[in-house]
Amino acid sequence: MLALIQALADGVMIGGVYAVISIGLTLVFGVMGIVNFAQAEFLMLGMFAAWFLWAYVGLDPLLAAPIAFVLVGGLGMLTQELLLRRVMHAPPVAQIFLTVGLLIVLENGALLVFGSDYRSVSTPYQAQALKLGPIFVSVPYLLAFVASAISGLALWFFLRASPYGRAMRATAQDPMAARLSGIDADAMRRLAFGLGVGLTAFGGAVILPYLTVSPTVGGQFVVLMFTVVVIGGLGSIAGAVVGGLFVGIVQSLSGLVFPIQLQNLVLFCVFIAVLALRPEGLLGARR
Amino acid sequence: MADRTIGTGRTTRRVALAGMGGAVAAPALLRSAWAAEAVNVGVAVPLSGANAQFGVNSRNGIELVADQVNAAGGIKALGGAKINLVIADSTSTPTSAANVAQRMITQNRVSAILGAFASSLTIAISEVTERRDVPLLTMSFADQVTGRGFKNVFQVVAKASAIGAAQFDGTLAIAKAAGQTLERVAIMYEDTAYGTAQAVGLRDGAKKAGVQLVMDDAYPLGITDVTPLINKLRASGAQAVFPVSYLSDSLQIIRVMRQQGITIPAIGGAAGYVIPDFEKGLGEFAEGVLSISPANYDLAPELTDAFRKRYGYFMVHEALEHAVCMDVLVQAIEKAGKADPASVRNALAGGRFEGGWTKAMTGGAVQFDAAGLNTLSVPVMVQWRQKELVTVWPDQFAKGKAVWKS
Repeated sequence: MLALIQALADGVMIGGVYAVISIGLTLVFGVMGIVNFAQAEFLMLGMFAAWFLWAYVGLDPLLAAPIAFVLVGGLGMLTQELLLRRVMHAPPVAQIFLTVGLLIVLENGALLVFGSDYRSVSTPYQAQALKLGPIFVSVPYLLAFVASAISGLALWFFLRASPYGRAMRATAQDPMAARLSGIDADAMRRLAFGLGVGLTAFGGAVILPYLTVSPTVGGQFVVLMFTVVVIGGLGSIAGAVVGGLFVGIVQSLSGLVFPIQLQNLVLFCVFIAVLALRPEGLLGARR
Repeated sequence: MADRTIGTGRTTRRVALAGMGGAVAAPALLRSAWAAEAVNVGVAVPLSGANAQFGVNSRNGIELVADQVNAAGGIKALGGAKINLVIADSTSTPTSAANVAQRMITQNRVSAILGAFASSLTIAISEVTERRDVPLLTMSFADQVTGRGFKNVFQVVAKASAIGAAQFDGTLAIAKAAGQTLERVAIMYEDTAYGTAQAVGLRDGAKKAGVQLVMDDAYPLGITDVTPLINKLRASGAQAVFPVSYLSDSLQIIRVMRQQGITIPAIGGAAGYVIPDFEKGLGEFAEGVLSISPANYDLAPELTDAFRKRYGYFMVHEALEHAVCMDVLVQAIEKAGKADPASVRNALAGGRFEGGWTKAMTGGAVQFDAAGLNTLSVPVMVQWRQKELVTVWPDQFAKGKAVWKS
């Protein structure tokens, strides 16, 4: 029983982080209708931004996360303006080629510039855990979870309550009608892409205290991110949150019963079951 | 070259043209200077992907020895032929490692190949070198490397099962010296060739000593959350844990153990536990962590200090063992008097090599058996003390006494 509660607690915390790094992916799809295969590379960039801020400025990765958000978000807006805008109305194949190409360029560019080393930060709370009775709550996981929750809520508030957020949702629903109402759809897409990759970079920065960063770290997350958004419902923000928590908990619970090697096997079996029963995802709208 | 000429101060068109001409001509000039005699040696190590750090260390060790040999007048038996290293990124995936080796053999006509640190890569490369009859010198130690009856593979360190067994025996000995009898232990290992092979040795050691294995778990390389693993460890009631990991996973394992207040001794399985990045990533939490290691730099400081001086960190075991590979290869070419792969292989097979870098190995020399395994090398136990690795077992090699906290 205790092991179950412990596994649930771990799963929720790790799932919260999965949620925030995947929200960006689902946001980009929801607003732009583009599947960004390079999304995990922006996670890598966020981790590197946080690492450099830690190594050269002495900033804690959690405090560096907003800076990573701004830097990578800016880069994302530039990417949208210079590259993605050109394929907005192109066939899906062209969009796939572009984002996969971006993935390759970013990963190899990082290898060229940063080298292939694994880098890690060392922070005072890294090896601490809170003890709630017999349950351990890892401090770096908890902090990452809290930071993720705050950023997720901020995004939700932005989309619900701010005029930009409303305009963005309008663009997602019907770009033509949005344009007729005086919304600059191009600007909205730029903003959505910047926000999307920025959030993923933010997530990258907050997980740095318990992981290591290298140019190929994206590969460890890319499949996970797609699983999260597809389980939750592609394009749905709430779906990404539910999907993230779901994936985290499934991974953690499977460790109780099966060897940890089978963690992802269990996850994908559940994934296939979800797709078979609810192809639109847990929270996706039926089409 | 052209850039450098153009970059210095005022540039006239003539200078620029001369520089460019020089740059164009340089490769041809250089080639004619040593084409007749240079010995091409392939270095296939992972310079990208999960094992890149180890590949860089390995390359540094090889470069150090190659430069030493070249500076001392090259290979005497070939009239002072220089060693020309053909360094290529094997990446961290076996398929591309094999392709890289193939290319070295067909395009660069290498006399031998050194590499590739990770056993899974070395095994892939050895398939190619065996087919093409090119000798492969390695410090990878999965049992399969020399266990398939190949004629062209030469391994300078002990096998993984022997290393796993020593990891266990050494731990028992150290615990006993500190007055503790181990009854329950845990093992966890990454699930590629290296981890699984070494786990076999650990399991055998436990069985022989009658120690109960309360946890025996494999995990995928590139794991991003080790918490379930450590939860299991905590529940298992083990008195010591043997993690066999590369770098990223080793950092996570020790961190989460410390988070959960698990203070039982951790005895690492080389790789991630015996490189400076381990200490850099963990700081004070690295202190006192034990590990097995196929070799250690403090056994031959007179040789390994040159590495520290040049690269700014201690000579990690993979650098040291690759240096030995390079030295043994040079000795074999000297012995053969020729540099073609077949002659080099014949000089290596069943040979005994002494002096030079072989003195840094525990056996003090290298002796290959019919399978290509160095029969003289025995692993040592090392412990982190103030950012350095101190050899603590077996007694005849120990430079310090092991600290055991139960």
